[in-house]
Amino acid sequence: MNLKIKLTLLTLFSSVMLFAQSGITIKGTVVSATDNVPIPGVNVIVQNSTNGTTTDFDGNYQISVKKGDVIQFSYIGFVTKSITIGDQSTLNVSLSEDLAELEEIVVVGYGARKKSDLTGSVSAVKADELTAFPVLDAEQALQGRAAGVNVQSNNGGEPGAPISVRIRGNTSINASSAPLIVVDGFVGASMPQPGDIQSIQVLKDASATAIYGSQGANGVVMVTTKKGRSGKINIEVNSNYSIQSTANKLDLLNADDFTDYQNAVRQNVALTNGNTPTPYVRGDFDTDWQDLIYRTGNTQNHQLSVSGGSEKMKFYLSGTYFQQDGVLINSDYERVSVLANLDAQVTDKLQLGANLTTNVSQKAGVTTQSNGSVTVGGDDVVSLAMRFDPNKGIYDANGNFSTNDLIGDPVDNPWAVATQRDDDTEIENFRANFFANYDILEGLTFKTTFGLSSRNTFRGIYMPRTLIVTASGVNGRAIIDEDKTNSVLTESYLTYNKEIGKGILTLLGGYSFQKTTNKGSYSEGTGTIRDSFSYYGLYTATNLINGEGGDIYFNEREIQSFFGRVNFDYDDKYLFTATVRRDGSSSFAANEKYATFPSAALGWKVSNEDFLKDNNVISNLKLRGSYGVTGTQSIPAYQSLAILSSLYASSNGETVAAVTPFQNANPNLKWESSYQTNVGLDLGLLNNAISLSLDYYNIDTKDVLMVDNSIPDYFGLLNSNIITNAGEINNKGFEISLNTRNISKEDFSWTTDFVFSKNKNTATKLINGDDYFRNGAPSYFSVNNTSLLREGEEVGLFWGFDYAGVYQGGDLPAGTATLPNGVAGDPLFYDIDESGDITNDDRTIIGNPNPDFTWGLTNTFTYKNIDLNIFFQGSEGGQIFNMTNVQLNNGDANTTYDYYNSAWTATNTNTNQPRVGNNSSREMSSRFVEDGSYVRLKNLAIGYTFDTSIIEKLGMERLRLSVSGQNLLTFTDYSGLDPEVNYFGSAGDNNTSSNTVKGFDFGNYPTVRSFTFSLSAKF
Amino acid sequence: MNTYKYILLFMGIALMGCSDLEESPIALLDPDGYFQTTEDLQAGIDGSLTHAINEEIWGRKLSIALMLRSDMVNLQSSQTRRVEMNTHTITGDNEMVYDPWKRIYLGISAANTVIQGANGVNEEESVLNPIVAQAYFARAFYYFHLVRLFGDVPYFDEPISDISAKSVSCTPEAEVYANIISDLEFAEEWLPNTVSTRAKPSKAAAKSYLALVYLTMAGTSDATYFQMAYDKAKEVITNKGTYDIDLDPDFQTLFNANLIDASKEPIFALDYNNVEAPNNAYDQTAPMTGIRGDDDDQGWSVAVPTMAVYDSFDPDDYRTRVSFQTEATIGGTTVDYTNFTISGHGDAANQPYIAKYTRYPGPYARGNKRATSHNYSMIRYAEVLLIAAEAGVEIGAADAVDFLNEVRERARNGGNSTNGGYVEETVPASSVPADLTSITVDDVLEERRIELAFEGKRWYDIKRRQLGDVVFSASGYEGDKPDWNASEDYDTPIPQDEIDRNPNLTN
Repeated sequence: MNLKIKLTLLTLFSSVMLFAQSGITIKGTVVSATDNVPIPGVNVIVQNSTNGTTTDFDGNYQISVKKGDVIQFSYIGFVTKSITIGDQSTLNVSLSEDLAELEEIVVVGYGARKKSDLTGSVSAVKADELTAFPVLDAEQALQGRAAGVNVQSNNGGEPGAPISVRIRGNTSINASSAPLIVVDGFVGASMPQPGDIQSIQVLKDASATAIYGSQGANGVVMVTTKKGRSGKINIEVNSNYSIQSTANKLDLLNADDFTDYQNAVRQNVALTNGNTPTPYVRGDFDTDWQDLIYRTGNTQNHQLSVSGGSEKMKFYLSGTYFQQDGVLINSDYERVSVLANLDAQVTDKLQLGANLTTNVSQKAGVTTQSNGSVTVGGDDVVSLAMRFDPNKGIYDANGNFSTNDLIGDPVDNPWAVATQRDDDTEIENFRANFFANYDILEGLTFKTTFGLSSRNTFRGIYMPRTLIVTASGVNGRAIIDEDKTNSVLTESYLTYNKEIGKGILTLLGGYSFQKTTNKGSYSEGTGTIRDSFSYYGLYTATNLINGEGGDIYFNEREIQSFFGRVNFDYDDKYLFTATVRRDGSSSFAANEKYATFPSAALGWKVSNEDFLKDNNVISNLKLRGSYGVTGTQSIPAYQSLAILSSLYASSNGETVAAVTPFQNANPNLKWESSYQTNVGLDLGLLNNAISLSLDYYNIDTKDVLMVDNSIPDYFGLLNSNIITNAGEINNKGFEISLNTRNISKEDFSWTTDFVFSKNKNTATKLINGDDYFRNGAPSYFSVNNTSLLREGEEVGLFWGFDYAGVYQGGDLPAGTATLPNGVAGDPLFYDIDESGDITNDDRTIIGNPNPDFTWGLTNTFTYKNIDLNIFFQGSEGGQIFNMTNVQLNNGDANTTYDYYNSAWTATNTNTNQPRVGNNSSREMSSRFVEDGSYVRLKNLAIGYTFDTSIIEKLGMERLRLSVSGQNLLTFTDYSGLDPEVNYFGSAGDNNTSSNTVKGFDFGNYPTVRSFTFSLSAKF
Repeated sequence: MNTYKYILLFMGIALMGCSDLEESPIALLDPDGYFQTTEDLQAGIDGSLTHAINEEIWGRKLSIALMLRSDMVNLQSSQTRRVEMNTHTITGDNEMVYDPWKRIYLGISAANTVIQGANGVNEEESVLNPIVAQAYFARAFYYFHLVRLFGDVPYFDEPISDISAKSVSCTPEAEVYANIISDLEFAEEWLPNTVSTRAKPSKAAAKSYLALVYLTMAGTSDATYFQMAYDKAKEVITNKGTYDIDLDPDFQTLFNANLIDASKEPIFALDYNNVEAPNNAYDQTAPMTGIRGDDDDQGWSVAVPTMAVYDSFDPDDYRTRVSFQTEATIGGTTVDYTNFTISGHGDAANQPYIAKYTRYPGPYARGNKRATSHNYSMIRYAEVLLIAAEAGVEIGAADAVDFLNEVRERARNGGNSTNGGYVEETVPASSVPADLTSITVDDVLEERRIELAFEGKRWYDIKRRQLGDVVFSASGYEGDKPDWNASEDYDTPIPQDEIDRNPNLTN
């Protein structure tokens, strides 16, 4: 019990003395059992009476009682103690900390609840889990920590890569399924730095999220940042430094083997097309392109915070510096963040406060996962390093960067692309939120907030002339892309608390208005005057490239809402919650401007019933059930309006105005509605040494926003992707969250946290029952329809040919056929339409990227001053489409030894791999679908906390050093680099928030393995 | 009192921002009321015609599909969609069917928007109609491609706003043709004699297309339409001075981005600009036909003629020189086509390549000769002469042979072309091809095959003349095509996705 907490408690609970009844006077001191420090503010109540008091600053109390009375000592975070009065006049009490109760205040929308009083489904993630190992974005730290939450980097270990978070699956097809992030009450905020976060609560069921109405369907991540406390000023320093390397590398052919391979390919291709094969001549080099583009990377993160204050004024100030040199050469990231939280007690009744935060980041990137701006993936460093001819050096005989001119498509070499191309992104985030809290009457509080946030992004890309294929022909290509988003939010609400008999009634009602403006411009030009100008040379471009209307944009959206909530808790046994929100949104069509989202929930604290109250085994048992409706409205502004688009056209050498119909009006476009049922059970055993939460949910999402593929293309609209409310999606799943205190001794403790999430995501209704296809392949693969949405099936199934092994010549096995001109050694496929040929009509479902379940397991051990944290995370049952192998086994690129050695030849016929140079051209087939299950040791950390006696001399209160390793071990059968894949494709059908194209692996930035040294000190 | 001050302040904040939630986009065009002036209409026309340059139409997918389906161009690569084109096993899932379909209808809907929008433009007929006539021409141009590819297709003469159009049936081929003729007749009446660029429709363009439409409708035997085709072609020929059109003296000029705009021969062309506009709105036909692994083209070596095609050309005919690339510089050495594979590139072939697109792509072409500014001719004067010749033979017109000989005469001029390594070279006049004294329909078709080689004309000729069984037999230039089936392969299957959306679409 340190001074700081003491002061806090003093502030929170100024002693209130009640007049004592006649009888004896008892006095004493209440201390913490942990450290014998007095606890101020402890409630001291005589049971079954109105007689009570609280302890003073020094933990002392005095109360009048009668003999035989039972006095109850209770305080948040401690186990309540009841003592029957005998003859004594002094009663000193020591309270033990209740570990389970410590986390019990849970932030919910527009308020907070004790965890034990929750009726909804909420996962909490603690501050120490967020900072257990360094992450760029706090969202990453949710992976494997919160049941029902799936987290994935959109691009492996790329510095600054966006993080995709999904709560209880995808409820949408076209709209984003990213959860709503609420930071200190600001709706739609960006994530604060992990070190500044006090706690994260993930609101999952409708009872918890419906208060956010049309923004709640994807779940809500409630973030509370650290606040100052009155008393001594605290200074904390947290630093860590990591060294990183690629976890894995593909085993590709060296130059000699590659030469043999190419000649074998050419001989075989000649068998198909009848041409005379051209010999491939071994070059002068033997280059390992992967070695050239990878390096040892490092990350450093330093945070300094100062907090403290007086009773009237409290503050928390923090600055964080994060810097990363990625494992790919020339990929760097740097960010500076500042956070200030201020609270002022202006009068007894009025509290004012402000949260201010800003951060600036700079990312110098290399392209991985080509976006298609350069054809044949010629800007995609990771896949280039796998594809590129090992017989080439970095430079050709003329001193130019070598190009891929002997095999496959002409592309620049990966080293040249990585080193010559500039791709810089600078992002500034700013957010300010002011609030005022006013206690109008006893139990009636008014709170109002006013905030604004802005996000500015600048991205510059430059491809210099030194890139022979990409940019020499056009004398350099420059791109500048700027985007600016502003949001203003004001919310006001009244909260009313009233005890009614054994019941406690809480009412909430409020109003919210948010206006978001987004604008930006994208400019591209070729023919710059100097490469050294980089993208700033855009102003010298001789050739500006105009767009079809999407390049300069302005969008404005308004949401206004009314919301309310009723909580009624009866006798600390029966809990009832009902919420409603009425939302209006400008982005919905004229006929559908407003929507209402209700929810209701019941909870029963069975363990507070008489028959369980004194049970020694079951310390907590609660049953929860909820039902409600939430919405998704994250579709672009102006989607419901008829629009004529401008497009680039010229006439007689001059650029001229040109228009073409873009989309028809859609006056009925509205929100998606998710109808969610949640049933849950919280169980605590043996004084909560074991606590278990189980949740089952079923979410039926209706009016799902879909691209209406039922509108024929002969309508002649540039945007045939008319969004309409047509689909239905079901998510059902099961979550387990188990926390156990296995050993809890003075010198040794062991705790285990286990989370398990199972979700099944099914498309239950699509437009006219039609199949709905998307393309997750690089555009130069020249394939389409790689992902399927079909009624009754899981979302995002793989679509392609069903591979039936290698054709051995002679009669075709029944039901199979080859692609045209098949000979022995070529791939065989099942002839689905029984036409005798393999055509696009033979495509079928060939895999499922959705995992059966995911899980995380954390074991924490402390022995004296040493702590050890072991965190495993896993995914089971999801499949991966290995498009890397589609390219590498295609003959026009380097390949793996695995394929080279196992491919069919006249003398090696007993194989499942077709001959090299076979008659397929990057076919999408089950040949490339693999099991993507994995178990990964995400973090292994060992820390040492110094004894206070040693560090006191240094003026420190706490000092902890730790060493940790991330991604040290991965157990998987997947043959590619990494089972946590997320290729977002270049065909335009996929993006970083796609729900329908998933499980593709191609040229991801590799996931990294790191070793981290951390220091945490408090003064 | 202080308290009330705060409360008033909060109430002020709380009430801020009450909104009617109406959207008022600033930088977006509302189609209602957009068309107010003839300039607005022109923007719609330019929008319509610019769809044709897209990769999905003449930038690659339709131009290459027409080449592969003919007997003139073979496939050097193995992508399924291209194999289907080359072997006549086209499925409704083929992107080379679907993408042109989609993009052509974009051009049609833009033209329809203009035609409807013109109703709200307050101008005299004499000012308005010459502008709107371009939209009628554009609509006819697009439907003419559609009807030749698919036969019956859904036909619309106004922008589609009613959702019931989702279930329309195909309009019969004959009715589509009648509408095309009606549009071209309006265009013929109102378009100007001459235009600032051949990428703008003119009276001659409307008449020339009418002649080609009639010739196509005549099929193998309809004398009435042959007569109409002959008459219309002759109207163009007779008035070539008025329309400022003529044969270009140098055949190579027709395939030279730098010179084509000054030539009198193109009658209607597409305006390829000097930028690579978004959404693939630029040319990729050149790289598709280019030599792979050489020093200059760095092409993709996809659409390559067979040796038999090359051998069918007279080596002394200047048009052979212009149509084929028989030499290339590889590794600094100029070699002929028997050594094209010394580049070591696996996709290279020891065959002459198509030269009409790659030789003079203009100064703006990017790597692989993509994104040319070459305004490709859609119809040129030589074709009008050959229409007159072919229809003339059919109706027994005495001057038919003269029209054909006029085309051959120009070929004898020689001109300025290049040799391997793209070194400029003057090719002297030649006695080949000699004038013919009397001609048959086959002679004209053969002349069209040589003169218009690789220009996207041959497949349509094979279809209208029902030549498939002959040209895809073992004696054809590409050898026997076993999958060729005359009873179904002349028509392109309507995209399966469209049939899935509207099962009433059958052709």
